[in-house]
Amino acid sequence: MIQPQTHLNVADNSGARELMCIRVIGASNRRYAHIGDVIVAVIKEAVPNTPLERSEVIRAVIVRTRKELKRDNGMIIRYDDNAAVVIDQEGNPKGTRIFGAIARELRQLNFTKIVSLAPEVL
Amino acid sequence: MRLEKCWFCSSTVYPGHGIQFVRNDAKIFRFCRSKCHKNFKMKRNPRKVKWTKAYRRLHGKDMTQDSTFEFERKRNRPERYDRNLAENTLKAIKKIDKIRSDRASDHIKNRLKTGKVQRQKEARKQLEQGIHLVKAPLALAQDSSLCLPKIKVNVSQAQTEENQPMEE
Repeated sequence: MIQPQTHLNVADNSGARELMCIRVIGASNRRYAHIGDVIVAVIKEAVPNTPLERSEVIRAVIVRTRKELKRDNGMIIRYDDNAAVVIDQEGNPKGTRIFGAIARELRQLNFTKIVSLAPEVL
Repeated sequence: MRLEKCWFCSSTVYPGHGIQFVRNDAKIFRFCRSKCHKNFKMKRNPRKVKWTKAYRRLHGKDMTQDSTFEFERKRNRPERYDRNLAENTLKAIKKIDKIRSDRASDHIKNRLKTGKVQRQKEARKQLEQGIHLVKAPLALAQDSSLCLPKIKVNVSQAQTEENQPMEE
């Protein structure tokens, strides 16, 4: 459950370290974003000397949430942190590497590039 | 479909039950119910929590080594479907499960045996030492039937060497 003002970790090497959600994309007045949803976020912390800077507004897709995710087969899965991957307008990741486990739901949502880069898909 | 074991209590996690937790290093922890999940969140060690399988195995409460455990094992190679084999397996499951439960109950019975002997011994000793509380010593002296029969204890006496003839 990601809502505006939620801080998220960054699960790639785009250069951002921490994001803050400022808008959930999908519908007007949408409250919460879950795994696979795109958010508008602001970079709260960035690695020095990288293209992305602090207080820059970017789009990101959520890849892990602490809130449980329920699958159709009845499986309930929960991750250790809230994490997102920085993407561009077309949905391609800005970084070249992905860190940590990633939910399988992203494949159905056409983030195949992210899924193929991920070290572990669960 | 695979039936996994709960990380905390080692019971079987059936489909649609419990929750999975994925740590950031992609290690999966499966829990059979919220009780186990909560205990994990409290950072409890399953070896120190009395109701878990890990504790019971560690403290000798349950059978740990048995040939029946060999049947229930994680096999990563899928078996080719064979109708006869499936039928025989289904038959065998019942039989093996019965054998396993019988052995497990035997194990517990054997384990409890030592405690029973110990308790009886202690009760006898207490009665012997505290019989004066039940009956006055004077009354006991008059009626010896109230007293417990003396327990004979074999004491191995060291033979005195003086009586033995000296060996030449």
